[in-house]
Amino acid sequence: MKISDTVVGAGFVAAGALIFAGTLNYPTLEAGHPGPSLFPRILGGLMAVFGGLVSLLGLRARDVTDEVAWLRLHKNPAFINALVVLAGVLAYIFLVEHLGFLIMGALVIFTLMWRLQVRPVKAAVVAIVFNTLVHFLFAKVLRVPLPLGILWW
Amino acid sequence: MIENIQAALVMLTSWKLLLTITLCSIFGLFVGAVPGLTATMAAALLVPFTFFMEPLAALVSIVTMSAMAIFAGDIPAALVRIPGTPSSAAYTDDSYELTKQGKAELVLGVDVITSAMGGLMGAVILMTAAPLLAEVALTFTSFEYFWLAALGLSATVMIASISPLKAGLALLVGLFFSTVGVDITLGYPRFTFGITELLNGVDFIPAMIGLFGVSEILRNMASAHLKFPITAVKAENIFRGVAETLWKYKVNIGRSGLLGTFIGVLPGAGADIAAWIAYAVSRRFSKEPEKFGKGSIESIVDAGTANNSCLAGDWVPALVFGIPGDSITAIVIGVLYMKGLRPGPMIFQEQPQLVYAVYVSFIIANILMVPFGYLAIKVSSTMLRVPRNILMSAILMFCIVGSFAINNSLFDVGTMLAMGILGYFFEANGIPVAPIVLGMVLGPIVEQNFMVSMIKSEWDLTQFFTRPTAAILAVLTILTWLTPVYPILFRRFSRAPSRA
Repeated sequence: MKISDTVVGAGFVAAGALIFAGTLNYPTLEAGHPGPSLFPRILGGLMAVFGGLVSLLGLRARDVTDEVAWLRLHKNPAFINALVVLAGVLAYIFLVEHLGFLIMGALVIFTLMWRLQVRPVKAAVVAIVFNTLVHFLFAKVLRVPLPLGILWW
Repeated sequence: MIENIQAALVMLTSWKLLLTITLCSIFGLFVGAVPGLTATMAAALLVPFTFFMEPLAALVSIVTMSAMAIFAGDIPAALVRIPGTPSSAAYTDDSYELTKQGKAELVLGVDVITSAMGGLMGAVILMTAAPLLAEVALTFTSFEYFWLAALGLSATVMIASISPLKAGLALLVGLFFSTVGVDITLGYPRFTFGITELLNGVDFIPAMIGLFGVSEILRNMASAHLKFPITAVKAENIFRGVAETLWKYKVNIGRSGLLGTFIGVLPGAGADIAAWIAYAVSRRFSKEPEKFGKGSIESIVDAGTANNSCLAGDWVPALVFGIPGDSITAIVIGVLYMKGLRPGPMIFQEQPQLVYAVYVSFIIANILMVPFGYLAIKVSSTMLRVPRNILMSAILMFCIVGSFAINNSLFDVGTMLAMGILGYFFEANGIPVAPIVLGMVLGPIVEQNFMVSMIKSEWDLTQFFTRPTAAILAVLTILTWLTPVYPILFRRFSRAPSRA
């Protein structure tokens, strides 16, 4: 997802300013020497300067965002694939404690494979087998307390 | 020294460790040979497993895996013209051109032998340089450590990247992440937004898995169902003609081994940079520079040696100063901290067996590389046929479970996801990801040593320049900042006499 350097640079200027602003209420050391705020302020300042330079160089090179690509984003398969990954992990985070790893894990893998054009039956088999193996490895061998949810194993 | 090596050998020959070495070799070879999976990603994915290992086994597994992966990256470069890892990118075109000329067996044979030789040279230099440097490092105080970390940060930005500005931004982001959590001077919570999980800072391991694992998955999603046209190679006699070739280029091997290790020692510059620089140097001194890019076996000898020797070099600053030589050793430092070990000169005195085990495992890994590499080349076409759409889905699950396993926390899974998106977005806009990791590791070292020094010297900045070692490091750091100016100066000086 390529954006123009001008915009990316401006984003960093804003981020730098936000970091700086975030430290304004930080306490100081005795005799007024800067304490917790010193390092973040230097970082925020440098980030804004570097971001500004990237932005300027982008402007000079007439580096512009490809607007057509942005308008067609909803038809771009790579972008939708990325969204599926995002949605899958978010769904995992919020649902795994209710449904358990065995169900959620398999669902996430299945959805992703299905989206990536693996045939549904094959995807389902691979998802269940692989996820059970991961469960066995982490929950049984390494003793990681993976959420059990509604299944008891 | 001899007895330490013997002790390390005894430790490494336990069946558990031998099994670990074998499994990690296979893992490394697979990851290296499949385009889209990098050695750094593999190291990040190994971390959750190392969490359950002894420190020794953890280090050995990362050494073995990374050595094998950097070699195996050469295989798809020769067979399908796609580097398996970024470290093979420099000579991908040369490898593939030679394959088209029917010399694939020679290329692969040279790849495996130069990789092993480079790795062994790097290991020998690591074994000699690291203890010597550790002696020096014992005299360092917070002033020296500050400059050392500053030098590391500067080298990351100025030497290790095409666009210093963008690398600088990535580094600043990493440094910013390192400030999250309770600060060291007053214990004041910074940028935690009231979230308890952030009081201890951004957790390094989920961040790593996100930056190198999830972002790589996102990038692969665009081409996951692509199939490569695979060149079938019989690989019956990959060692035929290799000896003559290596003898012909023996000077190149020595030169690139040294160069690669030196680049490894520089903080922030990893095996990919080593390969590019060795490639450029090789062309500069070659008798046949016109062949470069069109199938030069000489370039493969040079760059193939350099990238593997670099791996051992990367461990020098990591073990001696706790300053990572590349993104893999940044992960290693994270693992050491996780194990309650502090890398630094003291580790050479307190845990010599650990340090020697790293040396010995480098040697074992590079010797094993020849038979294992041969087998990997034999099965390479099968490895390249593994459907990537299934592979990517499986790796995503490993990322999720791996991030969760460190603290048993779903918050970490969220961190992983956020870092994955960040890493993907950065890479897409030409901003390198590795400096973020270096920033996260070096940030606390820079800040703590600076604050300690300032408070110790009652805010007397001159102390940073008056101690002799500190002054030398300061000069080196400032010279590093000036690297963009050197080409301009050089041009001016070289033009002057021609006018006269």
